[in-house]
Amino acid sequence: MNPKEYKYTREHEWFCPEAENTGKTGLTKYAENQLGDIVFLDLPAPGTQVQQFEKMGEIESVKAVTDLFSPASGKVVEINTEAVDNPNLVNEDPYGAGWLVRLELSKPSELDALMSSDAYGKYVESLSHESTE
Amino acid sequence: MELLKKTPLNGIHHDLKARMTDFAGWELPLWFTSILEEHNAVRSQTGMFDVSHMSRVQVSGKKAGQFLDKLLTRSVRRLEIGSSQLCLLCMEDGGILDDLWVYHVGVDEYLLVWNVGDIERKLNWLLRWSESDPDISINNTTDETAMVAVQGPAVCQLNSMKALCILSRYGHVHAKVNKLDMFGARTGYTGEDGFELISSTADASPLWRILMDQGVKPCGLGARDVLRLEAGMMLSGQDFNTSTNPFEADLAWLVDFHEGNFVGKASLLEIRRRGIKRKLVGFKVKGREIARSGYSIFKSGQEVGNVTSGGYAPALGVSVGLGYVPVELSSIGTGIDILIRGKMVSAQIVNRRFYKKGG
Repeated sequence: MNPKEYKYTREHEWFCPEAENTGKTGLTKYAENQLGDIVFLDLPAPGTQVQQFEKMGEIESVKAVTDLFSPASGKVVEINTEAVDNPNLVNEDPYGAGWLVRLELSKPSELDALMSSDAYGKYVESLSHESTE
Repeated sequence: MELLKKTPLNGIHHDLKARMTDFAGWELPLWFTSILEEHNAVRSQTGMFDVSHMSRVQVSGKKAGQFLDKLLTRSVRRLEIGSSQLCLLCMEDGGILDDLWVYHVGVDEYLLVWNVGDIERKLNWLLRWSESDPDISINNTTDETAMVAVQGPAVCQLNSMKALCILSRYGHVHAKVNKLDMFGARTGYTGEDGFELISSTADASPLWRILMDQGVKPCGLGARDVLRLEAGMMLSGQDFNTSTNPFEADLAWLVDFHEGNFVGKASLLEIRRRGIKRKLVGFKVKGREIARSGYSIFKSGQEVGNVTSGGYAPALGVSVGLGYVPVELSSIGTGIDILIRGKMVSAQIVNRRFYKKGG
């Protein structure tokens, strides 16, 4: 269910590479499911410089709040204003219409530190085992 | 790790793939499908909650009424059989041990339904004040029974609830729901019409299935918390506790100073004479950030209080909350700031009945 061509972080963000060192990022299905109904997105303004694995925003669901970390260093070039207006898009379509931030990468090689879809799938499985024990 | 207690409906919750959570030592559903969907079902149709974790204690015997009058902030003397009332259990210093519903179920027979938090302490409190009087019998029936709350504006359109719809508000009766024996009361914690049903543990699952078949949506604690907050209802242990008194918590309407001599009355009279310094208020956040329990409240850069409950109110489309502020800042319309994870966000004090039925 996690798109093959995406890369993943341990904090449950995905990165989808696009042309010329840019790409989109968002929350994974697992994160969306853990949070439940998302009602507020606090996303960085376009132009903001972000560092890999550092906080760049906040996601509020009815039940909880979580930080949004950047999967790679670079500059925010666009945010998904449709999702800001309708945060439930992240629940409905976390890998598509519910994307959050478009980044221009300053160090594309950093992406090597992210997980493949298979590795992330196994990582999530290990987490759900922990929580049922 | 301590094993969580399970209600008689635990198996059904797992079958329905509910997201479960630990609530005061009980494994209960946080949500079944989505908090917003479940909230909407209760505001527009009907929803149901497993509230079997709520503590149910029978108090009976010749001196039962006298005993309750010694402990509760409202006298049961004029509470008719078949009716119920909300009241408080205060400590000697006026601090609130809990809020609870007392049902007058028969001659010299009462049922108390109260919150699960601190349950041992509260049971010990009852036992301490009953002083082993043979004319007072205290029987905790929580584990022998189940409790389901069916709530929503369409509750009386359900065939299974027809027998209960004759009840007036706060009334209760023993009735049959599709051949199942129930104790049903027209009470709830959502701001909507509805019933709270107490059954044997064996009847809990059949009851749940009957209601599901009639289109009642299973709801979890997440929706319950949102609904009660929208209706301005407080949560014991969170919005008030033993270090808050009824005047501070805006619950003085649950204290009857005219009758009886209940535990805490002398202190409460003294507090009333002296006045209070802080008060619980409702607030509305300007913006979409959520002010959650524990966040600090500021006025002109000074920390003046804290949030006790807060969340997004789907019925209103804004973020609201309850919290304590100094009395001089407690009037409606006063502007305050709330520190939400490093960011000062403006809020305004408003009537804490954020949502009103049909309004």
